[in-house]
Amino acid sequence: MAVNEDRVSPDGLGAGPSDATEVPSDVPAQPGLPATRSSDEVMAPIVVPNTLWRSVDPMAYEGNQPTSITHLAEFEASGLGRRDNARWSGPLEVIPTKADYVLDLIRMNSLWPLLSGLACCAIEMMSAATSRNDMDRWGMFPFRASPRQADVLIVAGTLTTKMAGPLVRLWEQMPEPKWCVAMGDCTCSGGRYKRSYSTVEGIDRVMPVDVYVPGCPPRPEGLIFGMMKLQQLVKDRRGHWPERPIGPTVPAQV
Amino acid sequence: MDRSFKARLERRFGEQLTGPVRQRHDETEIRIGPGDVVPVITALHDEPEFAFEFLADLAGVDTGEVMQVVYHLWSPTTPDWLRVIADGLSREDPRVPSVTFMWKGAEWMEREAYDMFGITFEGNRDLRRIYMPPDYQSFPLRKDFYLADDAARSPGAGVRPMEQTHVPRDTVATGKVRRLSPGT
Amino acid sequence: MTATTPRPDITGRHHTSSLGDDAFAGEPDDPRVQLDRDVGVFEPVPPYPPRTEREAEFYTLRDGEMFLNMGPQHPSTHGVLRVVLKLDGEKVVDLDPVLGYLHRGVEKLCENADYHHSIAYLDPLEYVSSLFCEWPGVMAFEKLLDVEVPRRAEYIRVLSAELNRIASHSLFLGWMALDLGGLTPILWSFIERDTIVEMLASLTGQRMLFNYFRIGGVNGDLNHEFMSRLGDWMSRATEQVEAGNTLLNENEIFVRRMRGLGKIDSKAALRMTMSGPNLRATGVPFDMRRAHPYSAYPELDFDIPTRQEGDCLARYLLRMDEIKQSLRIIDQCLHQMPDGPVMAKLPRLLRPRPGRAYAGIEAPRGQYAVYAISDGTDQPFRMRIHDPSFLHLQSVGLMMPGHLVADTMAIMASLDPIMGGVDK
Repeated sequence: MAVNEDRVSPDGLGAGPSDATEVPSDVPAQPGLPATRSSDEVMAPIVVPNTLWRSVDPMAYEGNQPTSITHLAEFEASGLGRRDNARWSGPLEVIPTKADYVLDLIRMNSLWPLLSGLACCAIEMMSAATSRNDMDRWGMFPFRASPRQADVLIVAGTLTTKMAGPLVRLWEQMPEPKWCVAMGDCTCSGGRYKRSYSTVEGIDRVMPVDVYVPGCPPRPEGLIFGMMKLQQLVKDRRGHWPERPIGPTVPAQV
Repeated sequence: MDRSFKARLERRFGEQLTGPVRQRHDETEIRIGPGDVVPVITALHDEPEFAFEFLADLAGVDTGEVMQVVYHLWSPTTPDWLRVIADGLSREDPRVPSVTFMWKGAEWMEREAYDMFGITFEGNRDLRRIYMPPDYQSFPLRKDFYLADDAARSPGAGVRPMEQTHVPRDTVATGKVRRLSPGT
Repeated sequence: MTATTPRPDITGRHHTSSLGDDAFAGEPDDPRVQLDRDVGVFEPVPPYPPRTEREAEFYTLRDGEMFLNMGPQHPSTHGVLRVVLKLDGEKVVDLDPVLGYLHRGVEKLCENADYHHSIAYLDPLEYVSSLFCEWPGVMAFEKLLDVEVPRRAEYIRVLSAELNRIASHSLFLGWMALDLGGLTPILWSFIERDTIVEMLASLTGQRMLFNYFRIGGVNGDLNHEFMSRLGDWMSRATEQVEAGNTLLNENEIFVRRMRGLGKIDSKAALRMTMSGPNLRATGVPFDMRRAHPYSAYPELDFDIPTRQEGDCLARYLLRMDEIKQSLRIIDQCLHQMPDGPVMAKLPRLLRPRPGRAYAGIEAPRGQYAVYAISDGTDQPFRMRIHDPSFLHLQSVGLMMPGHLVADTMAIMASLDPIMGGVDK
């Protein structure tokens, strides 16, 4: 297995750094590209001159600009709302912390999950919520459709790189206090898709996870056990929610 | 295996076939060049002795030397599947006429072949990426696109043969791609 | 961590690449670094000018129209499908489904795995009907290897698969009603599904992604627990199915909402390469089990229900009829079960001779097929998976215009897509 690591692939097979070209591959009717590019420049937005039609709004399609019609345009542009560390600061800090000591006991018995079933584990999550294995016994029946009303994000199913953005946005939209349960092997570690080019190896690379429920898929009883562990965790940490880690929690060497 | 079907195909499409008509189990396979796709598919669909109305599958194949587009068709006139292989597309700029004029449902299958291989279907009104994000640069199913594990020699590789990372032999180290022998 | 640092792998050391340590660093497509980019603004309209004719036609707004994004997360339970709707008031004028939020790269992973491992990758595609996902894969490999499957194994395959079909159609019933707003039928279907799935768990060991079919047969013979559960269930099955039907078939709101919704005629359906119950509801009696018989189906006696109207109600009633036919098939399988081995004798390391094979079966959603190419080594050269839900989602664009936003989910539910299969 002595492989020369400085070797660059021969030209024409498109697998090495010397084969970078400037033409984006997503435009049809272009000459074909090598399979992988490894270019040095940061990926610039692709600008294709538009000869097909004229838009009513001249500001449209100018490339990822925030629209002028949103009343939250300034707020979106400042990036404040997308920080996950928005906290009550200073003397106001005492309000959530002290009240939380009691409120967390109430919250733990009525954790409302967000409907975030991505793939196969979603079926077992639904099975855990319906009559045979009833999650309503623990107060978790209403699966909220809107993240603004949910407490727990049960991520059930494989997370792909395309879905990672929307999922992180959902997590950011949930108001605090919030918890996250990684259900299934794909969310814990990437599972059987760990080697794939388009999946995220575990959602703890993009968001903090409180409970991991392994299995492919975990039995509904397994998910319920995980939720009971979450209830125990809420109770153990009551009053200290602000001290939890924010953001991806994978340690550096893992 | 329908022998009379093979005879009918050879009689009708003799000049357009680039290889012998092969039959195995319940499948019959013909190979044509990319320029003949439109007349052959139209003939197979419209003529009553063939009547291949049902397009079962449209796939792209990267054999390592050429690209191919493979159509699977079904007809009530024969118990066999018909496999039409549009052979000989170049790996640098694969182009083939689209069959969306006949089956609109082929549009997404061609989008998928474009997304995964880079095959351009001329005549497809909507040839954009379907699975990968629109700013993705590579074509994942091509043989020169290596999974990160295969390009690496993962130190986590196990001892027993079934546990070892499936590094394609003679590929990554020498930069070659996995090839399929031409007659397969 | 900057965007150019490759993340270490699980053993704590960096991936060393024989293409050079920087082969993937700075690479825009490296999945490990894509996540470092900021999430950004989400808009229904893409941030670049349209690149194709259809994109231009769709993303141009006329007077009074607007875009509505039904994002990848929505209350309907189909999975992560994003649909951009172009609305004129409440009426849908056009729509553009965006897929890929569950694309896991199964075809590429299968090329880098053994033949036995590839079968295991096929399960989570259509996860509610996993046995139908494994079946064409096993059939295609058996054709490549010229292996004869024992008759008992074929009958067990048909038996377990028809049970899975009933479970899948029960779930369809529940989701159809849930997307129209009814909350009771989904609970009933999950009871039904849980009973069947516990049965299959006693046979295969797993509730959902069964991993039961093997190249050359099945993994284990019928056992006592499975047979007793099955007998129990069969004795009540007919009344339970009837009860489920009467819950909804005579419900005026249900019927009036579904009748005439999402009509498609048989010519258009064939042009859109639809298959399965969606095609049979338009009047074309095409069923793979009769059109291209495989496994033990030539010896079994069952009908192919067909309906003419092609709307949501026809698709729903057709699937209910199919449940009854599946019960007939299960009954016959139990009576005609032959004796013998359940697995053909095969070497552990499979190396088929070079060749190609295509196998298509009738899954609850349509024609599910696998096209496998072998190059003589122990890994498949190409494993192409053809999924029916992928094609059915194309025809939503034909059925939707003119209907209201609330009917979007109803039409999609009636087509019964499963995003795992659509996105592979």
